[in-house]
Amino acid sequence: MDFLSLFPYIGIVLLVIINAVLVMKRDIKVDRSGDDIQTK
Amino acid sequence: MDYIREHYLTLLLTSIYVAGCLYIGWHFKKKAKRGVEGYFVAKREIPGWVISLAFFSTSASTNTYIGQAGISFEYGLSWAWMGLIWTFFCVISWQLLGPRMRYQTARLNSYTIPDYFHLRYKSNLAKSIRVLSAFIILFATIWYMVGIAKGCAHVLTSVLDITYEYGAFAIIFITCVYTIWGGMYSVLWTDAIQGIIMFGVAILMLMIPFIYLGGVDNVMESISMTEHLTKSGKPIGNGLVVFGKLVSFLYILGIGLSIGMKQISEPKNLIRFYSINNAKSMKFAMIWTPVFLGVSLVCVMGLGALVHGMTTVEEANYLINNTDEVIGFMLNKFDNRLVSGICVAGLFAAGMSSLASVIIIIGTAFVNDIWHAVKPMPVAKIIPRTKWVMGIYCLMVYIFTLYPMAGIVELTAFAGAVFAASFFPAIFGGLYFKWGTDLGAISSMVVGMLVNIIWRFGFRFNYPALEDVHEIIPAFLFALITYFVVSLLSKNRRPDEKHLSNVFD
Repeated sequence: MDFLSLFPYIGIVLLVIINAVLVMKRDIKVDRSGDDIQTK
Repeated sequence: MDYIREHYLTLLLTSIYVAGCLYIGWHFKKKAKRGVEGYFVAKREIPGWVISLAFFSTSASTNTYIGQAGISFEYGLSWAWMGLIWTFFCVISWQLLGPRMRYQTARLNSYTIPDYFHLRYKSNLAKSIRVLSAFIILFATIWYMVGIAKGCAHVLTSVLDITYEYGAFAIIFITCVYTIWGGMYSVLWTDAIQGIIMFGVAILMLMIPFIYLGGVDNVMESISMTEHLTKSGKPIGNGLVVFGKLVSFLYILGIGLSIGMKQISEPKNLIRFYSINNAKSMKFAMIWTPVFLGVSLVCVMGLGALVHGMTTVEEANYLINNTDEVIGFMLNKFDNRLVSGICVAGLFAAGMSSLASVIIIIGTAFVNDIWHAVKPMPVAKIIPRTKWVMGIYCLMVYIFTLYPMAGIVELTAFAGAVFAASFFPAIFGGLYFKWGTDLGAISSMVVGMLVNIIWRFGFRFNYPALEDVHEIIPAFLFALITYFVVSLLSKNRRPDEKHLSNVFD
């Protein structure tokens, strides 16, 4: 199996890890009547 | 009796699963009919883990677990790039659209994607966008539903020896019933259960070739060099494990974009954001949805290629021309009733989760965004009429399923291209750009549709160099550019500052 065939498997793992880190760093707020109203 | 003896485990597991779905629908019947906000978006009170699993299960369907998995029988492990592209767009969808969509739709009291366009862009033209986008939904969705029903019917035929017609009827009818009963509550909670099953089944299905052949080394040895033939009769050789040998990357990119980009544009996905209950749930879903999807796609996308190790030359020659049947063949060959039963339940879960999601989108689009928009009706009539439309549409899908028009993968890809090009610019612009206008939105929608159709039917297959350039690429680019240019040229059409402040601040 060559590298480019293998890459998607590695790529997906890296992607979900990077995504998780980015989400944890973000300040997320959603609006519901009475709740805070700002989003970033 | 012989039939029961042979299939009892699969029948039992499938029956338990079906009964569970119907119970959930019945359980939420009363709650769902209390009001439009409940029936359409479950009153925005659903926890993050439910939404996360629901988004995952609605994104992946039998088109994925049968169609996509099967097609790697023809195209090899290169097809796993599809999984990476999908997961990428899942991340984009949650990072870019999720929080803002939840925020703005609650502010606007929006219950559907078409009515978001109307409420956000706030004009008579915006009402036309609402109606047009609802028509696009009705047009594009039927192909997708037919594809799913067809896939599920094939599973029933190969694993349970049920005829195609009865199988298609069962899957559509059962899904229709619990969706009509419980509305969005039913859709989301069954989706969540289905997501758990699908996740487990993806991992289980990946294990099958390895168990059958006795380990990783044996599997890799059997597929690294095979005497099986391609569709055109040439030896596959090492094509299954060498990138780009059996299929061009451009083709993978086109299909990958058209299906992956549905997550940033298709109503059945985006409507999930409407129902999340709070910020903590949103964060949970933002992290875990790509995990569920990514892991499942890693398992499923290259599966067909591995099945070569389980086939004779004759079987391979048949399956290369019938890739929709590869997974059913794999289960039959493995010949373990418990595994087949679990996988069949998983495949149904994959199909029904997506079917249920689009059934409710169809109902709300027709009744709320066409009928009610054009000729307002008493609020008390919206839910009953939505239910009727859902039932009638399911009947139409069944008829088309008996006489399907194209292969599962291509059907799904075209529908995805239509949504991505027609909807994303207007949604993204609406969420991020105060200067986005109704004229920009409707222009981008029309251009997206037209370029899709013109490219596919006028250019793509008439010029060999363009054959692998999927229509989504030019359609999306043209639509996006159109949105920006027309919005900037029609600045005077933007809504008033008070409205924009309510939406954005």
